[in-house]
Amino acid sequence: MSWRGANGLRPWLMQRLSAVYMAGFLLFALGSLAGASSVSFEAWRDWVGQPLVNAAMALFVVALLTHAWVGTRDVLMDYVKPMALRFPLLLLFALIFLISLFWSLRVLFSVAAA
Amino acid sequence: MRFLIYRYNPDDGQKPRMQEYLLDGFGNGDKLLDALLRIKAELDPTLSFRRSCGEGVCGSDAMNINGRNGLACITPLKELGETVEIRPLPGRPVIRDLVVDMEQFYHQYRAVKPWLTVHDPEPETEYLQTPEQRDQLDGLYECILCGCCSTACPSFWWNPDKFRGPAALLQAWRFLADSRDQATGDRLAELEGPYHLFRCHTIMNCADVCPKGLNPTRAIGHIKKLMLKHHV
Repeated sequence: MSWRGANGLRPWLMQRLSAVYMAGFLLFALGSLAGASSVSFEAWRDWVGQPLVNAAMALFVVALLTHAWVGTRDVLMDYVKPMALRFPLLLLFALIFLISLFWSLRVLFSVAAA
Repeated sequence: MRFLIYRYNPDDGQKPRMQEYLLDGFGNGDKLLDALLRIKAELDPTLSFRRSCGEGVCGSDAMNINGRNGLACITPLKELGETVEIRPLPGRPVIRDLVVDMEQFYHQYRAVKPWLTVHDPEPETEYLQTPEQRDQLDGLYECILCGCCSTACPSFWWNPDKFRGPAALLQAWRFLADSRDQATGDRLAELEGPYHLFRCHTIMNCADVCPKGLNPTRAIGHIKKLMLKHHV
């Protein structure tokens, strides 16, 4: 697969793929929670602590932030014309999404390790 | 009936304004263009608008009718209510009254090279297509370039200099879908990047307003899928 100059197709594809994954994960998560025997913090933590669920949820966070990044980039490209304003805004959102990513992963892995 | 029409004359130094015209006595089959012609003939000869064929073939009299782009010549008056608000196509520079500058629209149309490109030696007789191959062009070739779709598209409003717009992209797909065309790679390469094709966010105003009932959004989806196939 060649991505040379694929500045339009790749983000579009990422947005679609992440959307499909998120929809699938949400169905799986809702199904699992609906079938849960007890509704408590411990039960919730045990569920998230299962390696498969933990990994799937980590991937969900990645998909969510990828999706949000493509959408934010689109909005800024459409509405913010001056580069002197667009670039710092892109940087700001990239930073927010990156921090969110590492923070979420840290929380998820702390539950998995417990 | 009451007509509120956008007026602007660059020579009189006035700001654009809405002018009211009252006119009655229309026939059952009369179209909006009939009303505009009567207003110009009976009430105000300074009113400017484009028109030519008068039957939805030339695409000259595209305008914003009660907030919706359409062709005046095929819009029945009786569907419009008692008050009709008429404005020029949105997002285009106004030359005068309902006449707008479509140069950017034509620029984007030219940019997709809307003609057949064949690298092989030309055939002795005509190019042959199967009926199935010909069917692929239905819903594409009928475009009359009136500009209703592109000027209803928010993505085209924000980036008319970079985004090709629904009308041009419909024609891009018309030649990508043509079994005789041999420039698929070049056409796709030209549309790559964040602006030319991918400013489309499937808002679908284009398909909603097209007076010929065409669906540029679907064509754009086909282009994206073909581009994906070419990259994988």
